Amino acid sequence: MDVLEWLKLGFETAFQWHNLAFAFFGVLIGTAVGVLPGIGPVSGVALLIPITSSITSSLSPTEAATSAIIMLAGVYYGAMYGGSTTSILLNTPGEAASVVTTLDGYQMAKKGRAGAALSIAAIGSFVAGIVSLLGLIFLAQPLSKLAINFGPADYTSLMILGLCAVSGLAGKSMTKALLMTALGLLVGTIGIDSVSGIARFTFNQPSLYEGIEFLTVAVGLFALGEVFKSIIERDYIHGKAVKVNSILPNRKELKDSIPAIFRGSFLGFLIGVLPGAGASIAAFFSYSVEKKVSKTPEKFGTGMIQGVAGPESANNAASGGAMIPLLTLGIPGSGTTAILMGALIMYNVQPGPLLFEKNPEVAWGLIASMFVGNIMLLILNMPMVKVFAKVVETPPKYLLPLIVAISVFGVYAVRLTLFDLILLVTFGILGYIFTRFDFPVAPFVLALVLGTMLEYNMRRALTISNGDYFYFFKEPMSAVFLIIAALWIIVPFVLKMKGKKLIINEEG
Amino acid sequence: MKATIDRGFACVFLVIGLAFIVGSRSYVSTSYGSQVGSNVFPTMLGVLTIILSIKLFIETFRYEKEDVVEKVDFDYKKFFIILAATFAYCLLLRPLGYVITTFLFLLIGFQTIERGKTWISVLIALIVSISVYYIYVELLNGTLPKFPVWLDFLN
Repeated sequence: MDVLEWLKLGFETAFQWHNLAFAFFGVLIGTAVGVLPGIGPVSGVALLIPITSSITSSLSPTEAATSAIIMLAGVYYGAMYGGSTTSILLNTPGEAASVVTTLDGYQMAKKGRAGAALSIAAIGSFVAGIVSLLGLIFLAQPLSKLAINFGPADYTSLMILGLCAVSGLAGKSMTKALLMTALGLLVGTIGIDSVSGIARFTFNQPSLYEGIEFLTVAVGLFALGEVFKSIIERDYIHGKAVKVNSILPNRKELKDSIPAIFRGSFLGFLIGVLPGAGASIAAFFSYSVEKKVSKTPEKFGTGMIQGVAGPESANNAASGGAMIPLLTLGIPGSGTTAILMGALIMYNVQPGPLLFEKNPEVAWGLIASMFVGNIMLLILNMPMVKVFAKVVETPPKYLLPLIVAISVFGVYAVRLTLFDLILLVTFGILGYIFTRFDFPVAPFVLALVLGTMLEYNMRRALTISNGDYFYFFKEPMSAVFLIIAALWIIVPFVLKMKGKKLIINEEG
Repeated sequence: MKATIDRGFACVFLVIGLAFIVGSRSYVSTSYGSQVGSNVFPTMLGVLTIILSIKLFIETFRYEKEDVVEKVDFDYKKFFIILAATFAYCLLLRPLGYVITTFLFLLIGFQTIERGKTWISVLIALIVSISVYYIYVELLNGTLPKFPVWLDFLN
């Protein structure tokens, strides 16, 4: 079947009424997650996994996986739409990818153009969403066809590449990021070894036989960690939102922002495809590009519409682009996509080249639903901008304890054990301590998700090669991946030695 | 200050690396049909962790003097109340049931973060705990801890 036929199948799946509902609630919750400060896309997606898994429990496994991933992906790109709202109205970004939007967005709001900034952000996000989807459609099949010939050695090296890419760009210190990756992989070895069936590091505790559940860890590190941080650092007292007047941009604003939107979309998509470089880097890059091409770069920071249009398009395009390595190669490039991958694995759906062959309805259903979801988001965000501006003012007094309650509910509903609840709180505390001292948590979660597969493929490769470790360099694809992986670590290191400032990915 | 903290972290990671290496020594070195046993991967990672923690330790000596962890006005009181409440919530979830513990946790949480408007807090906590329980258990057939035996008539 060719792409269009698959896409038709995808739309048939996406237009089933329950999937429409899942997409709608996904993007709605996503927008709210983006709008609410203190809860970002990572924690939003992590929190919703248990809830989706209980809602979808009456469906067949594949259908459940499709609906769940439609909803969770909706939260992801929905958050990119919503993130701009707080940046513009409050001067506080709702999530890391909208940090640069504050620079010009808030200035525009102060000049009474908040509505215009918000609607341009929504239009830009929409265009970017469609651009990245087109990229996804045309790249997905060729990439997965290429990846289907990968042997265990290639996979091992590809996963190492993914881990290096994320560690190379996460956090202020690469050593710390790599340490967190190693720790994540180590924690991943706890439990019954899938190759030999031996229980490792379990101390004869039955609760450890299944290993440390990724869901519990993710919810703890991201959602609880953020709540604890907000409370202990008094990070929740925030100002009043700027009032939104007319939501329509005027002709000049529209004319100025169209090229910025397209530049942002393409740039964001390309950056999103790269593992490790997520939406926040894309937004940052787009802002500097806009500043470079502008005839009046000195006016940036005083309320230039391009400074909103470019980055907001870029972060949305990046979140779409990030789906490509996840779906076609099975390698998530960021914290959020790692969690999406963990969710798919929970449903017994393995992302990667076989996804398009074994579960085309999941892959294409998701792609088609992203079209639908982006249209829903545009409709939600244009006329309802004023409603979301009110959501911004949700008192943290109620929000923070509710996030804790949702975390506990979610973990208990899926795991049903006291052990996991204690683990949840422990990882919440750890999550705060780690971020406080610049140990990035995203590489840890990514390593935990990839750990089992990495070990499995490595051992298969070594079995094929009779224990020859140079096998990874003898296979051509594998060698290429390892070289890129090494470069990813060495290049930033060299640049840092030369005293260059690096941009780091704060998306998580 | 920052250097001291990071040295502490380096030591902790070093111990973790060592522990995994020691722990994996007891697993057989080869499994059936395979050259590599269950001990290889954890041992490799343990070694990697040790190398990286030593690297971090060395790096701390190159920190600039002014490179300090930013000072934050910590709110220990509220944090520890919320933390204790969360632990109590988890431990009492089964004995007391979902609705009671969630209601109490939310009420304590709301009032800890900001005193006042008690009735609104009670109302929100009540609505959330009861509606989550009934929607999840009755409509979605999920499992959550029921009311305790002495309140059996509510089950």
